[in-house]
Amino acid sequence: MKRSWTHWARAATVGAVSLVMVAACSGKSTTGGSDAADGQVTLKINFWGDFGLQDLKAKYEADHPNVKIQLNSGEYNAQHEDLQKKLVAGNGAPDIAAIDEGFMVQFRSQSDKFVNLLDKGAGSYESKYLPWKWKQSLSADGKTQIGLGTDVGGLAMCYRTDLFKAAGLPTERDQVSALWPDWDKFIEVGQQYTAKTHKKFIDAGTNLFNPILGQQQVGFYSDQEQLQMDGGPKVAFDYTVKAVQAGLSANLVSFQADWDKGFTSGAFAVLACPAWMLGHIKDTAPGTQGKWDIAAVPGGGGNWGGSFLTIPKQGKHVDEAYKLLEWLVAPEQQIEIFKKVGNLPSQPALYADPAIADFKNPFFNNAPVGQIFPKMAQGLTPQYLGRKNGPTRVAVENVIRRVENKSLKPDAAWAEAVKEADKAAKS
Amino acid sequence: MSTTRAAPAPSSRRAAPERGRSGGDDRRLTWRNRLYRFDMRYMPYLLIAPFFLLFIVFGLFPLLFNAVVSLRNYRLDDPTLPYWAGVENFSRLLGDEDFWNALYNTFGIFLLSSVPQLLLALVVASLLNRKLRAQTWWRVGVLLPYVTPIVASTMVFSVFFSRDFGMANWVLGLFGLGGPDDPIDWRADKLHAWIAIATMVNWKWIGYNALLYLAAMQSIPRDVYEAAAIDGAGPWKQLWRITVPMIQPVVLFTVILSTIGGLQLFTEPMLFDPNAQAATGGPNGEWQTIAQLIYKVGWKDLNLGYAAAMSWALFLIILIVAGVNYVVTNRLSGGRK
Repeated sequence: MKRSWTHWARAATVGAVSLVMVAACSGKSTTGGSDAADGQVTLKINFWGDFGLQDLKAKYEADHPNVKIQLNSGEYNAQHEDLQKKLVAGNGAPDIAAIDEGFMVQFRSQSDKFVNLLDKGAGSYESKYLPWKWKQSLSADGKTQIGLGTDVGGLAMCYRTDLFKAAGLPTERDQVSALWPDWDKFIEVGQQYTAKTHKKFIDAGTNLFNPILGQQQVGFYSDQEQLQMDGGPKVAFDYTVKAVQAGLSANLVSFQADWDKGFTSGAFAVLACPAWMLGHIKDTAPGTQGKWDIAAVPGGGGNWGGSFLTIPKQGKHVDEAYKLLEWLVAPEQQIEIFKKVGNLPSQPALYADPAIADFKNPFFNNAPVGQIFPKMAQGLTPQYLGRKNGPTRVAVENVIRRVENKSLKPDAAWAEAVKEADKAAKS
Repeated sequence: MSTTRAAPAPSSRRAAPERGRSGGDDRRLTWRNRLYRFDMRYMPYLLIAPFFLLFIVFGLFPLLFNAVVSLRNYRLDDPTLPYWAGVENFSRLLGDEDFWNALYNTFGIFLLSSVPQLLLALVVASLLNRKLRAQTWWRVGVLLPYVTPIVASTMVFSVFFSRDFGMANWVLGLFGLGGPDDPIDWRADKLHAWIAIATMVNWKWIGYNALLYLAAMQSIPRDVYEAAAIDGAGPWKQLWRITVPMIQPVVLFTVILSTIGGLQLFTEPMLFDPNAQAATGGPNGEWQTIAQLIYKVGWKDLNLGYAAAMSWALFLIILIVAGVNYVVTNRLSGGRK
């Protein structure tokens, strides 16, 4: 009798424990920190690459002992997709989210999910910003400003002086700029280079396509959100395929390991350089200091990239976040970031500031970056980037990669690009 | 099976005479009896209930909810669409060339991985089944790939199969294939990409399947082999005529498992892409599997309704393929079930 009792009891205990475990698994985990209790506030900033925030974070935290800043750098596309998911879920978005111009239209059409910075008094910034930059993050009805611009891309050409010298090309930056007034000449110079050295000239077809597209009047979409491939994209695509066919491309994939290796191994000699690219080159290939220089981009002005800082509405510390945001776009910090990683501020008054105007970048053979990039940014008429700009660009870049790895014939490439872009527009 | 079925029987038989023997103790005994009967009859169900509760919460509910979502418009970036979509998601599926491409890739990689994987596992197992020195060392050794985290091994393979600095091309170069002047671009066409991914899958699962086979083989009586050897059957013939038929249930089990695993392949193709985030499986979807496509449609195109429809289609496909595989393997290995 006793034995059956213990047997039963043991079995019951096992059963009960299992049930409790089930209950525990399906229960809601507790969320929320102890922020409010001791007046401590943690602000999370999501961005990609290097925004030059590391030193600024320490500075701000020292001045504001109740604020902790959490920097969260991720992959470019992933950060935007993540933000979109969190906005829909209504939970989990960072206090400050960086958004690139390529994704801006998608997010500003959901302006009800962001804090209207005009309500916070951001209207006074309008006069300080490049007009097109200010408009890019303004909602269609003009009533909601969801972000303040940080940097603008601008365009230039970075090149390796040592490799140019070895190929018998001029190395002085004005002479190099004179080599390529337009993209046809640029491809000719590339052919000279590859003929002489048997090495590749550019890193990737996609990094030719994007800057050329940035120079065109219209991009993938009209401001009516109609896909139009026959304008700008066709021009950029044709030059890209021409360069690939001429054997100029090292056929690397941007922001991947082999690409980064290419910077150090000299796998390519030139690279289209928006201002933000300078920081990437410096971080990736510190050993190439002094070997780089910066020349003008063929074909005149254009823009490639540039970001905004926004405050999603779901955050718990909206006021603190706005305070930090204002601090980050203040001239002092913008100049600091420019010097540190090369990101060009979007407030033109700063271009006249000697701290920028006279700044020469030692990593790039003391190139006067404070002159090169502002001149580019001021002369810009930027294109409209549609809601589906991001996925469309990825689709066309994939077609270019197929031409590069020879799985697609160049003659058939354009039709394929149109088809893929169409699919992305409808996805 | 036989023990659980037999267990309740003696309880009722024993309970009957007990009741008749002592009438005064009737109430207490009945209570104890009931307890006893409850223990024997219902306790097993109570004890296996936690699994089924978990399954209902985390398995069945998502499955059914997924079915509901697949009939809805569920776009994260466009909440204004009408609630119900009917079968629209499914009919779109039929005409979606991305889906058929992914299905084609999935089956291609599945064939290139499952078939060699199970055959090699059989061979490895029959080798391990012999008398070997340091037997445990060998047996643990074949399981090591299975223990390695899949992400880590895939990252290594991804470098192994890289075009410019990859070891795979270097090894092929030693045999005069490809080489540094004309390296194989493993990511440029379907066949090469499939082979690369199937290699990763095989590497990971051969040892695991071999150990399953080995366990089954050890229950085969030695004298069968001895008799066969006397009759003049070599090791190869013994493997196919004796071993395989006798471990047939385990072979079926591994075929079903690798079918399910193979059709759900995700991590390897995902990380094989230099830009893993893209989830396109190559510039032209050369190695995009269905699981990867579902991820892309759901979380990159933000179209959850359509992704749910794809998931359900995949579920049905797996059921069908696993069923077909079961029948075929059963026939091939001479089963009578």
